[in-house]
Amino acid sequence: MVDLLGRLAVAESVTLCHRVVDGLCGREPPHREDYSTVWSLEEWVELLHSLTAIFRLAALNNSSDEEVLAELSGLGSSHTENVLKVLRAREEEIRRALLDITNFISSAMLQDFDWQLKLALSSDKISSLHIPLLSLSLDLREDGALRSVAMEMNRDELNALISSLEAANKVVLQLK
Amino acid sequence: MEEVDKILIHALKQVGTEVSEEINSVQQFSSELIVEAVVRCIRVIEPGLGSTLSTSLPPGMSARFRVGMSLAQACQDIGYKGEIGYQTFLYSNEPEIRSLLMCLVEKLPRESAETSDQPTGKSVVLQRAIATAIKSQLAVPWLPQNCRRLLHIETQGPEALHNFHTQPLSLPNCTKGPGKKQLKAEHTGVISVCACMLSEMTDYQRDILPPLTSQPSHHVSLVASILEQHTAELSTAQEWENEWKSQGLLSCLSPQEYCAWKLSRLRKRIEEQLRSAALPSPESVFGGPRSTSDLSELLETFRAPSDHILTKGTHFTHTQKFTFTQESAPVTSIHSRHQSDSDALHQEEELASLQQQLQQLCNDVTQLTADMKHMSVTNTQVLSELKQREQGNSEKEEKMQVKKKTVDLLPDADNNLLKLQAQVEAGANRMVNLASQWEKHRAPLISEHRRLKEICSNRDLESSRKLSEIKSLHDKICVSTEEARKKEEMYKQLVTELENLPQDVSRSAYTQRILEIISNIKKQKEEITKILSDTKELQKEINSLTGKLDRTFAVTDELIFKDAKKDESVRKSYKYLAALHENCNHLIQTIEDTGTILREIRDLEEQIEAENGKKTVANLERILEDYKAIRQENAALAAKVRDG
Repeated sequence: MVDLLGRLAVAESVTLCHRVVDGLCGREPPHREDYSTVWSLEEWVELLHSLTAIFRLAALNNSSDEEVLAELSGLGSSHTENVLKVLRAREEEIRRALLDITNFISSAMLQDFDWQLKLALSSDKISSLHIPLLSLSLDLREDGALRSVAMEMNRDELNALISSLEAANKVVLQLK
Repeated sequence: MEEVDKILIHALKQVGTEVSEEINSVQQFSSELIVEAVVRCIRVIEPGLGSTLSTSLPPGMSARFRVGMSLAQACQDIGYKGEIGYQTFLYSNEPEIRSLLMCLVEKLPRESAETSDQPTGKSVVLQRAIATAIKSQLAVPWLPQNCRRLLHIETQGPEALHNFHTQPLSLPNCTKGPGKKQLKAEHTGVISVCACMLSEMTDYQRDILPPLTSQPSHHVSLVASILEQHTAELSTAQEWENEWKSQGLLSCLSPQEYCAWKLSRLRKRIEEQLRSAALPSPESVFGGPRSTSDLSELLETFRAPSDHILTKGTHFTHTQKFTFTQESAPVTSIHSRHQSDSDALHQEEELASLQQQLQQLCNDVTQLTADMKHMSVTNTQVLSELKQREQGNSEKEEKMQVKKKTVDLLPDADNNLLKLQAQVEAGANRMVNLASQWEKHRAPLISEHRRLKEICSNRDLESSRKLSEIKSLHDKICVSTEEARKKEEMYKQLVTELENLPQDVSRSAYTQRILEIISNIKKQKEEITKILSDTKELQKEINSLTGKLDRTFAVTDELIFKDAKKDESVRKSYKYLAALHENCNHLIQTIEDTGTILREIRDLEEQIEAENGKKTVANLERILEDYKAIRQENAALAAKVRDG
């Protein structure tokens, strides 16, 4: 399956491998449109899977050159060498990405958060208010899908939230 | 008149009329401007009435006429008493327009009453400013993106609505966590490989890695991603520093060693946690396929850079088939890796028996401790009982001694009784003696005590009085400081408001003008009173003269009438006298008539002048022209209708 890579020129294969690693690290994966003339859809998916698996396994097992070369048997020597180079260059990055994935093992995980501080000056019933409001939006990743949670809190609710978060942080620190 | 015009123009500007800078008197007003000003005033005074009127003058004559008529009607409805018609607006003359505008401006509602009772404070001013700004922004209608101009982009642009999304970035010099790299280099242990890796990494970073700005998929999340990355690095660095300073230095290890120690400790802890979670109910953990896969996944991740955990992880996955043997996995892990499965089974059995023994021993120990506790409790109980008994014993001994003494005294009863009585009497005497002595001492002491008490209460009273005084003073101070603060705030607010007020109308000029006018009026009043007094004097003189004349005439008449009976010539003179009197009366009458006629003439001249000022003839001509224009328009319309 990996020998499909042989259809590509050496320099291009290096870029492709790097893009595959990018995809593994959570950035943009390679697009099929760029390579649609070289491989059919089935071949493309297979190649992508096998390359990803090789990189992942190699980084995971900390495998030596020989083990990787055994996996890549059937590919031209220059291609093999390049894949190995890519692997060695990005090994650290892949490992970090895998560690991150492991860290995100819980069912829901906070991806991003954003906040805005607002001051309510009046409402539909009261002409003059003076209440600060915090609108907090949390981007949660649940089973790979992003779900955004937005909430608005006044001062007391915010204090309650902060104290509970601090308590949680204390527990985490104790775990260390 | 210039000041009046200035005031009028200022008021009209406040209402919303666009009066250009060059115009500074009512004379320069065009009919369009007049119509606009009047309509805006009417709208402010009575919104219901003004909403139907348009501020611009239409081109057609008949439409102009209609607008003029409706405006005139509206002005009369509001309460303008002067003469008004459509020509007032179309062919303006200065005094009429001025009086109309003055009437309208006087009827404008006053705003000062509203603003004065609003709350004070600098923040209130700010809030009001914010509220007005928001109100104006809300009043701006929403526009599609293509139609937005610069003004709208601030409030309606999409820039403010971007969410904060981050994506991982790859930076050439990125070090996630201090000391990690060295640590990993140590763990892999092969420095040459590391160097080789470095050269490949620089190749990658030089040739393949896209620049930072093109790394995120959306341009929008670039800033967010960079911020996130830097914050993460900074916070890890800070956390590490804190920890190193608080705990790392105490441990007397090098940073790498400390890291390694911590890593192993953490792993051990996680291992313990997992085991403790897995042990109590092995069925539940290993029974379902889901939990098993979770656990194995979790342990897979332990195959991180270090070595012995790695072996454990592989072992764990390896022995997944023998789920019932997993409890002993950590103990046998190191050996069992290289042994056959039967060996493992054998060892498992041995271990099981050993564990049973251990459990039994543990049970024994718990039983023994429970026994010990029980014993200690009974011991304390017994001790307390003993104490009680001892107390009872001593009491009984005392009683017994008293009884023994009485028994000793019994044989010589009478003598002893007498002795006892004598002793009792002596005791009573002594008692009385002591009581009298005590009385002696007591009286002065009590009086002293009373005196002191009184002084004390006096002092108490005084101190409480002073305390209340102090309290009231304190309250007063508080109140006055509060008041001072409020007044200060009010002052500040008023100063800011004063600064915010438009400066175009100078107050001092007005006051000066008013004072001048008042002094003029005073002068005029003085003159009027002078003239009035002159007239009164004249009237008086005239009256006295007429009286004198009458009296003289009456006397003369009588005298001559008496003589006339006797003498013929005197009769003639009497006739003359009567004629003279009559003629003089006539003369006076004529002079008075001349005066009134002269006055009438003056009045009429004034009226003529006023009529001339109104340019009635010209206006009539204009009206005639208008009439002709309207007729023409009507004819044209009729022709159109016929054609159509």
